[in-house]
Amino acid sequence: MTLDAIVFYILAAVCLLAAVGVVVSRNPVHAAVFVVITFFNVAAIFVMLGAEFLAAVQVIVYAGAMLVLVLFTIMLVDPDNLPELHAGRPVQRVVGVLLGLILLLEVGLAIINRTFTAPTGNATPELIGLVGGPAQAMGYILYNQYALPFEIVSLVLLVGVIGAIVLALPERLGEQFGLRRGTISLGHPRGTEVALPTGPDGEAPITEADRKETAALEGTRELILVRDPDKYTTVGERR
Amino acid sequence: MEPQPIWVTFVVAFIFMNVLLVGMAYMTWFERKVLAAMQDRLGPTRTGPHGLLQPIADGIKLLGKEDLIPAAADRLVFYFAPLVVFVAAVVRVAVIPFGNQITVFGHPVNLFVADLNVGALFLLAFGSIGVYGIILGAYASANRYSLLGGLRSAAQVISYEIILGLSLVGIFLLSQSLSVRQIMLLQTASLQLGPVTLPNWFILSQPLAFVIFLIAAVAETNRAPFDLPEAETELVSGFHTEYSAFRFSFYFLGEYINMIIVSLFAATMFLGGIDGPGSDRFWVLGIFWLLVKVVFFLFFYVWLRATLPRFRYDQLMGIAWKVLLPLVLINIIVTALIRLAGNGQLF
Repeated sequence: MTLDAIVFYILAAVCLLAAVGVVVSRNPVHAAVFVVITFFNVAAIFVMLGAEFLAAVQVIVYAGAMLVLVLFTIMLVDPDNLPELHAGRPVQRVVGVLLGLILLLEVGLAIINRTFTAPTGNATPELIGLVGGPAQAMGYILYNQYALPFEIVSLVLLVGVIGAIVLALPERLGEQFGLRRGTISLGHPRGTEVALPTGPDGEAPITEADRKETAALEGTRELILVRDPDKYTTVGERR
Repeated sequence: MEPQPIWVTFVVAFIFMNVLLVGMAYMTWFERKVLAAMQDRLGPTRTGPHGLLQPIADGIKLLGKEDLIPAAADRLVFYFAPLVVFVAAVVRVAVIPFGNQITVFGHPVNLFVADLNVGALFLLAFGSIGVYGIILGAYASANRYSLLGGLRSAAQVISYEIILGLSLVGIFLLSQSLSVRQIMLLQTASLQLGPVTLPNWFILSQPLAFVIFLIAAVAETNRAPFDLPEAETELVSGFHTEYSAFRFSFYFLGEYINMIIVSLFAATMFLGGIDGPGSDRFWVLGIFWLLVKVVFFLFFYVWLRATLPRFRYDQLMGIAWKVLLPLVLINIIVTALIRLAGNGQLF
């Protein structure tokens, strides 16, 4: 057995085991991680076939998509209270098993009969080398031969994006502006806002009574009461 | 170029990874010294001359600490999440070229591990894999602050990854290649502008993309001022709150190695990589020039950390989607139009 075959069987075995793990794992986050492992191994098989561009895109696109899936799982699913854990969703179980069996039958028949063969393209290694590499060859075909399907797909994605934006919009436009508040953290010591007398900003002096009140609030800790920060900092002087 | 035996590739990869690890250790020393100088302090001074042994002392200390696991943690995920960050960071060095082919004791040796046809995409792909370690570690810790940090990290990386990738599209258009080595070799040519001879570095033809790449790279590596996932003051270190000892240090290693890799990437894509005076004759000079550029970028990282306060979360998202994304799309369109005009296909 050549080295290539050994590496392929390792990749394929890990890929299949991870795919089984997706189905049998009880924790949805674990299932998502298994999906990522499966895709990763598929990408590695793509590399072995010489389709590096496809492998990189597989990792970038599916890794990003799975990340969002993991996020949704963490945010929206309670892993301890899934309906599947206490015999919920009977219809889905039956339909899932049925569809799985049909797919298995189809794939099995195709493998046994070897009838499922696609027409061989004209992309020989020499031709691919002539345009610069697999990525370049794919680009030429995608943007020349398949330009129209490509544009239709991008249009469908655009509709999806617009739909998401419409769903996320507030009920009435302009509503969000009324709610906007400034967030300024002053970082003053605790208790000062109770003790300070109310008055015009920066003008009311801190009286002896205020000091006593805050001292009682703060116990033994030394407290600096600052109304006017400029009193304590001098411009241009470095200490 | 002669083919080299596979074991030479393994030796070269082994050397690169070890150099990277040592470089990472001394990156922490460099950062502490530069930060100290900027804040009028001395920084580490006790261990060795100028505190040069500090990284080693830190490593030994981290090895000797207790490895704590929270009772509610998802143990398996908690174990491997830091490794994902670390491995995804280290493996990226494989496509960075440190030079061309040299001859050692009569054997041809390539100063790069692999010349992937899609090297630049490989770097971007593993950058996005690294964030899995962060989000999974955050989830497995069963800690609210960690989870908040992880969620922030995911949103940040998804946004800035797009910008990082798109900022390189201009270079891909000009160089007609996705291979990092091919792009670097293109930049060793010189550019004749009337009486002035300039190096054909892509920073000159893609200045806007360079600036955007730098900003997105800082965000992608979770460094200040984009270090919201581990904002110490609000999230108690975010995603790695519950991690201790050597498991924590894997996160730490991953972050610093990512910084070095991104610096190498930026130097190779925009500043000509090994290109510099004399680099075409002596390969050592090529590595020297590459390191000079990398140290410049690393200094820039530390400089940013010392200077800028952390962004607020809505500002972070606003910059990505409302400022950087339109700019980078304009850059791509303009580059494509200029390229078409240069080919005579436009008018």
